[in-house]
Amino acid sequence: MLPKFDILTDEQINKIHKNSLKILQEIGVEFSYDPAIEVFKKHGQRVEGHRVFLDPDFVENMVEKAPAQFTLHARNPEHNLVCGGENVIYMPGYGAPFVYDADGGKRDATMADYDNFVKLAGASKNIHMTGGTVVEPTDVSDDIRHLKMAYSHIINSDKCFMGSSSGYEFARDAIELTALLHGGLDVIKEKPALICLINSVTPLKYDDRMLGGLMAYAEAGQPMVIASLVMAGSTGPATMAGALSLQNAEVLAGITLTQCINPGTPVVYGSTSAVTDMSTGSLSIGNPENALFTSASAQFSRFYGVPCRGGGGLTDAKTVDAQAGYESMMVLFAASTTGVNFVLHTAGILQYYMAMSYEKFMVDDEIAGMVLRYLKGFDTESDEKMAYDVIETVGPGGHFLTQKHTRKNFKTEFYRPALSDRQSFDGWSKDSLDTNQRAKLKWQEVLANYTPPELDPAVKEKIEAFIEKRSKELMK
Amino acid sequence: MNPIFEEIKDAIVDGDEDLAIELAERVVAEKIDPVQAVQLGFIKGIEEVGAAWTSGEAFLPDVMMAADAMKAGMDVLEEVLAAGEGEGAYEDKGKIVLGTVEGDIHDIGKNIVGALLTSAGFKVYDIGIDQKAEEFVAKADEVGAKIIAASALLTTTMKSQKVLVEYLDDNNLRDKYKIIIGGGPTSAKWGEDIGADGWAETADEAVELCKQLLG
Ligand code: B12
Repeated sequence: MLPKFDILTDEQINKIHKNSLKILQEIGVEFSYDPAIEVFKKHGQRVEGHRVFLDPDFVENMVEKAPAQFTLHARNPEHNLVCGGENVIYMPGYGAPFVYDADGGKRDATMADYDNFVKLAGASKNIHMTGGTVVEPTDVSDDIRHLKMAYSHIINSDKCFMGSSSGYEFARDAIELTALLHGGLDVIKEKPALICLINSVTPLKYDDRMLGGLMAYAEAGQPMVIASLVMAGSTGPATMAGALSLQNAEVLAGITLTQCINPGTPVVYGSTSAVTDMSTGSLSIGNPENALFTSASAQFSRFYGVPCRGGGGLTDAKTVDAQAGYESMMVLFAASTTGVNFVLHTAGILQYYMAMSYEKFMVDDEIAGMVLRYLKGFDTESDEKMAYDVIETVGPGGHFLTQKHTRKNFKTEFYRPALSDRQSFDGWSKDSLDTNQRAKLKWQEVLANYTPPELDPAVKEKIEAFIEKRSKELMK
Repeated sequence: MNPIFEEIKDAIVDGDEDLAIELAERVVAEKIDPVQAVQLGFIKGIEEVGAAWTSGEAFLPDVMMAADAMKAGMDVLEEVLAAGEGEGAYEDKGKIVLGTVEGDIHDIGKNIVGALLTSAGFKVYDIGIDQKAEEFVAKADEVGAKIIAASALLTTTMKSQKVLVEYLDDNNLRDKYKIIIGGGPTSAKWGEDIGADGWAETADEAVELCKQLLG
């Protein structure tokens, strides 16, 4: 693995860290959920109404309790994932309400799309887990959406996945389903198997629903991503250092709460901060500023000793075009080379999280494969890899194409593109397909050939019974 | 022409809320014609900002701060204008109640819509985020608004826009107001499905829509 590089000096880290602590101590953070307020009071923090003022030493001590890394367990242990350290975990986009088609069409996302994206993630060798809320399945009532989504992840793949964080009750449902899959709540408490996304409400707030979710995961010992999305220029200051300080304060406050509830609960420091387009007010994510926020967050996570979430195949483009490609590569590359561990939104996103696209998913899958290869760097371990002997054999003026050494090594040393076109002009011009068109053929082929790994029928039955029971209760 | 009008115009262009209030207070105290102050000061200023916006020279902070300054200054003049002081009369282009629907706290888009409507000469009453149907209607009733504009950013809160239309139906108020909706996940089709009078994708289009509906 390549060493991850820093983008901030120690002095800059210190300055921003201090700025964040001052925000927490003097401006404070609003927690709308009463049980959270009680927790802070019990820990001796100053509370006025719903505003909590956090003592800097207290914050540092609590954040220290969070583990530097943890293992997320999959139904198939081959897909267990270590989150932290040098590792990077890729997964599909999260939360988009729309699907954009190859021909430029726009439609509401459905449960069928949901299943498809989970399958594409399940089939990919570059995408390590199947994510969560891979689209918003708008054709399913939101009373039971979280159950259907969890079921899709469980049934369509044996990789790790994410659960609902929409309030205490829904979060509990997701946790119980995962417990059924793994053999009990005590099993997953020992071996965490579900992770969720908790977002602050920038600037400086946490709402009831999210905090309810946070309490449920913390109690059950399941990991969570505590993330802040500062839109610099609108929900945060227009300066990079100011927006980063604000984000950092929010994430620290969230992590502090998790460690108060259950010390040692695995948490991931999360950032999706980016900038506001000052002509339209919309979020803009496919840019150098987002890449900088992402890399800085990775560095802050190292500083605090926790894993990091950030970045992704992020773009503001509406279709799979050059913009979609160059923006996504920039942000995913920055995230991966500067030490982000958990990359939500790796594949599929178009137009600042508003849409998922099947074609974009395949493009991002390719980008992910390229970046993963880059991260492996040079292998200089063995004489075989140093290749002196074969250089000697061929000598001046020969070629290597017919050497055993070549035949043996090229497959593991070179990344083989799945989507990119490397043909001659004549070869390409037989069909003249651009990336968008090739990606369309590709995902259709992948889906057609995918068989979900079988789930133990007894477990499946229990899970279905649980979903049926809860659906009845919730649809009343 | 009283030089204060030029000063008011500049205050709006600069988005200087404090100065706009101060100047409006001087208009009242010195019994300067308020209608002229509005037309030659406030409106001139906001029109200038609006033109710069349309040509892409002005950015959101410019327009939004100008709209805030305009609103603050106009509030000071409200009483003397209502009392019919000054030559001729000043009338806004129409009153609009704007808010984010129940269960939803996203407000950036709503605020932009509010600012652009204000700068287009509408009088906007922003009731804030997480607002029930009753609250939209109560405000519209109170101020005599013609349009109710509701923003929703979540697929789960879009149905609150439907609830708003139904609320008007149920209370036999449907003909009294035009309802327009918007926000990220909404669409023209959703607007039609729930029986809204209009939908717009962007704040600029929202202004055009309101002009059409009241024109
Ligand atoms: C910023 C943001 C937040 C901020 C909001 C801060 C604030 N003060 O508003 C915070 C962090 C608080 C937040 C919270 C949540 N968010 Co949010 N958020 C966004 C984000 C990134 C940008 C929204 C935005 O401001 N856009 C910029 C403005 C200018 O655009 P706009 O609102 O669409 O407005 C324009 C037009 O739509 C139109 N318009 C708007 N209103 C109206 C009204 C009328 C009448 C008309 C005519 C036109 C009109 O004009 C505007 C200007 O052109 C979006 C993703 C995105 N890219 O949009 C997600 C997004 C909307 N959020 C989402 C979610 C899920 C949430 C949360 C549930 C938690 C979470 N996972 O983040 C909570 C919900 C809180 C709640 N109860 O409402 C999802 C929604 C998915 C879905 N199911 O629909 C999105 C799409 C992100 C995603 N892919 O997951 N969010």
